[in-house]
Amino acid sequence: MYISLELLKNFIDIRPDLTPEEIAERLTFSGSEVENINYCAGKMSGVIVARVQELEEHPEEPKLLIASLNTGSGEHTCITSAHNIKKGDLVFYAGAGAILPNGIEMGIKDFKGVSSSGMMLSAEELGLKEADDPSGLLVLPPEARPGDDAKSLFHIGDVIFDVSITPNRGDLLSHLGISRELKGLYPESVLHMPTWLRQFKQDNEWTEDFGEISLPDKGCYAYRLGLVTGAKIKNSPLTSRIDLVHLGMRPISNAVDVTNYVMLMLGQPLHAFDLNTLPAREITVRSARAGEIMRTLDGKDRNLTENDMLITSGGEAIALAGVMGGEQTGINENTNTILIESASFSAVRVGHTSRRLGINSEAAFRFSRTVDPALSNTALIAASALMRDWCEGEINYRPKFAENEIKNIQPVELTRKKLNVYLSFDDMNAASKILDGFGIKNIKDDHENKIFMPPTWRPDITIEEDLIEEIGRYRGYNEAENKLPGELPRRADVGDVMKISGFIRNFMMAKGFTEIMTYSFLPEDFAKKLKLNDTDTRSDLIKIANPISRDHMAMRTSLIPGLLNALKNSLASGWKDQIKIFEQGRIFLREGENNHIEPEHLAGLIFNGLDDRSAWNDRSEDFYNLKSVVENLIKSRGYTPEFKTGHENFTHAGQTANIFIDGVKIGFIARLKPALEQEININANKIYIFEIDTGFLINLKSPEFLPVSTFPASTRDISMLVSRDKNYAKVISDIKNSAGEDVKILTEIRLFDIYEGKGVPENFRSLAFTLTYRSRDRTLRDEEVENINLKIRENLNHKGYIIR
Amino acid sequence: MPSLNIAEVRENFKNSLASAKNIQELEEVRIKYSGKKGELTLLLRSLGNLPKDERKEAGIKLNELRDEFEKDIELTSKKLRDSENEQLEINERIDVTLPAKNNLNGTFHPVVQTMHEIANIMQGLGYSVATGPELEEDFYNFEALNIPKWHPARDMQDTFYLPDGKLLRTHTSPVQVHAMLEFGAPLRIICPGKVYRRDNDTTHSPMFNQMEGLLIDKDVPFSVLKGTMSEMLNAFFGRKLNYRFRASYFPFTEPSMELDIECVKCSGHDENCRVCHGTGWLEVAGMGMVHPNVIRAGKIDPEIYNGFAFGIGLDRMAMLKYGINDLRLLFDGDVSFLLSGF
Repeated sequence: MYISLELLKNFIDIRPDLTPEEIAERLTFSGSEVENINYCAGKMSGVIVARVQELEEHPEEPKLLIASLNTGSGEHTCITSAHNIKKGDLVFYAGAGAILPNGIEMGIKDFKGVSSSGMMLSAEELGLKEADDPSGLLVLPPEARPGDDAKSLFHIGDVIFDVSITPNRGDLLSHLGISRELKGLYPESVLHMPTWLRQFKQDNEWTEDFGEISLPDKGCYAYRLGLVTGAKIKNSPLTSRIDLVHLGMRPISNAVDVTNYVMLMLGQPLHAFDLNTLPAREITVRSARAGEIMRTLDGKDRNLTENDMLITSGGEAIALAGVMGGEQTGINENTNTILIESASFSAVRVGHTSRRLGINSEAAFRFSRTVDPALSNTALIAASALMRDWCEGEINYRPKFAENEIKNIQPVELTRKKLNVYLSFDDMNAASKILDGFGIKNIKDDHENKIFMPPTWRPDITIEEDLIEEIGRYRGYNEAENKLPGELPRRADVGDVMKISGFIRNFMMAKGFTEIMTYSFLPEDFAKKLKLNDTDTRSDLIKIANPISRDHMAMRTSLIPGLLNALKNSLASGWKDQIKIFEQGRIFLREGENNHIEPEHLAGLIFNGLDDRSAWNDRSEDFYNLKSVVENLIKSRGYTPEFKTGHENFTHAGQTANIFIDGVKIGFIARLKPALEQEININANKIYIFEIDTGFLINLKSPEFLPVSTFPASTRDISMLVSRDKNYAKVISDIKNSAGEDVKILTEIRLFDIYEGKGVPENFRSLAFTLTYRSRDRTLRDEEVENINLKIRENLNHKGYIIR
Repeated sequence: MPSLNIAEVRENFKNSLASAKNIQELEEVRIKYSGKKGELTLLLRSLGNLPKDERKEAGIKLNELRDEFEKDIELTSKKLRDSENEQLEINERIDVTLPAKNNLNGTFHPVVQTMHEIANIMQGLGYSVATGPELEEDFYNFEALNIPKWHPARDMQDTFYLPDGKLLRTHTSPVQVHAMLEFGAPLRIICPGKVYRRDNDTTHSPMFNQMEGLLIDKDVPFSVLKGTMSEMLNAFFGRKLNYRFRASYFPFTEPSMELDIECVKCSGHDENCRVCHGTGWLEVAGMGMVHPNVIRAGKIDPEIYNGFAFGIGLDRMAMLKYGINDLRLLFDGDVSFLLSGF
């Protein structure tokens, strides 16, 4: 919110030696962060008021006017193309050598034989585009005197603070509020009320017929109406227009500007109705009916609920209470009779309405942060006074009002003990003084403790901690000691998830994989892209009701899309070498009707790069390299993984395995479907992926270590032709079966050759193994080994293996 | 046997030995003299033919000669092997500046690394890691944290909703309540994790990472919060930093503060610093003393226990520590970025 230093002076006398920077810092450290200080005049210098002495057309260029200007200390000739000035007008003049707010320096320029010194300024050149008609020069009111510096007039040289107000401090959304805060922060300052907020007699009966105000809805605490007759709708005074522009609002017309100005000064949102456009001469504030529709002044039809409050007249909705006015009843250029509405609404009710409808109007913003109910009267007086001054209206009418019960501010107790625990500070008198500065009065003492009454504008103060915060933020937190907590409540533990993820990331990085983190979202067409079946749990996406981008429609059910995206992004940024990446994170799966689970997954990817020429590095990793990583990872947690031929719709039909631990599937490893590889890179280079649920690896299964056998081992080689329909796992299990009882001394079956091609029949491959025989309790005799070996060969033969 | 003969054999042997250029030639020399039909062997065999009185003396001499030969051969053999190995090593010289093989190195993601580093630091201060769901109920994300539905503080956090009314947690703070309900007081936990907000521009990502900290105990003063923050951040950045606390507002803490640390890049010495924009300070964390309503929501008695909570942005921590200036780079998975620091 913007706060004007000039306008603050209407409410408070602050120590004059304080710079805007010092004030900003004090506000910032006390909780209202000043994000920027704007010196409105910028670099402007040498811009002064001048009177137009003479005005004549340029002899050769009728579009241009030649003005003779009197600055009080000299005469200047200046050419302009604006035609809205006349002889005798006062204007801002930037002579040669003067500097505009944007830093441009004025010079002397020749216009077809006439020398023009500097220029006369429009509002836009002053950086105040919205304060005046931008097509003409800014014509000044008569109180300006030739020679006056522009910076000292009409608040042009104001300093504006951009203050970020926290949601609990609705009371700070005004100049009055910030002044009260500054009084708390600088207790020696003096608060006072602005001169325009003066009491005046408002005791005339209304000259217009008007019935009752009724408030059947208790969410409206107070509703006041002021009457202004004979108003003339035109521009507001120049200073006020400049104030509004500085404070971020566009001046509209005097009547509307009054309501905005009072809101910015006092924090009370106001509304101005044209009395003659009201459907009836009465006002009722009631709850909307469910399904009732109202058109707000932005032209939108709003579908309402019973929580919403309506201002109605003759049964017709004319405003959405505290949020936005209606289309029909606003001020227009022909308005002469104005109703000023100053009301107090429930923050909860307005908050609900504005959040639900997404209307964050200035009024809703303030009401939902609580507006001091005591303000509705003050603000009406202020608005009336300004309507008289700016609109030349008649205002001496007794306001009409109706009220409901308001929840009162309650006293709060401050104990010395808690103050001391929190802030390590226990001077109750000093504390009381600090609170007093913020308007929080000590109303009673109870032994060591004091009871305080917050002012009407501080409904946020309801518990002792709130009082402690006031004292804390006044004193600042930087002087406190640095202490560490004492005795541990229990042994600290980083927990299973962090432990296993730490273990896995170290493992994967050591294997040459780079850790990535991608969004937890998926696009809606994810399942289609990966050709997943409808019955696949990963197709059943948990969708986001209010997504912001097509790539972020639902929660991910797999880490694979993120890895593939990472690969695409890497290639897009020009990476050509091998890519080995992994990610750990949660996936999101539905469980039953209303539940979901968030298992922790690990996925990895190998892509050999776009350039396989390398004098050094193996850039030809394949399925088995990735399998080694996965297998060793699982083994290092004490488990024995089992890989079985598997199927995924998005993976290579002949290169996919499911991974099992103790018979439970924990994931898969595969090469991507060639069609998808082709989509990702034009070379159609192979992409190997895996994904597992790491929940199965959390508990380290303690391995059992065995002593080394002290008896010698014997080895026998065996070579055989194997039909291709028997996979390696089957061959190994057949070898073991063939050993029968003696499998316990068959300690190792090592594949040392695998071959297919010339010399091997089609659909066969040749496998050669070294079998190691070793007993733990005796030396095996040669003929014993020979017999076992023969038995194995024979049995394998029976099973259809061709032993060579 | 004439002694001249021995001297001659000896001299010939010495000459042959000197001319042996490698192990093979040396072996030939050995065979020539000590082999089955070697000259020395033959001399030894011929001892039997000598008269008895000469035999003994000649035997001693020949045996001495044999010992000498063996010793010489061994010495020469060692010398030749040494020089051959020396040559071998010269021949096998490599260019050690050629690249390492398979030099594609696995590296960490800066945010995950930060998460683990800070968790380790905090474990040292007695904090355990707690977790909670990323798809959260409104109650834990807002209501239990003192943010009712109408509350304007909800505007501070634009929220992703699910059709069933659940939401994507907007902060890690809901874990405070889960942890209090699960473990009770006293309590010290941190919760690092992903959070989500409906925001996507150069400085906001719809997903980012936070770490919540919560300490609940008896009579906890602000000074412990202050000490904990500086201990944690000094350890993380590896040096003693300057700190400043500003009063602020969060619905779930009272009093509330925000923490600025000195700019880790310029320490306030560079007016044009890209990291702190010349202010010398960086906003890194929000915190405060836990609001009694939140302690109550965790089924702990706020009359007996109090405490503090803090939240820091892990992405920001990582960006500051590792000099990253674009948040969006973190979640692209682009290895040209992730490997750029190594």
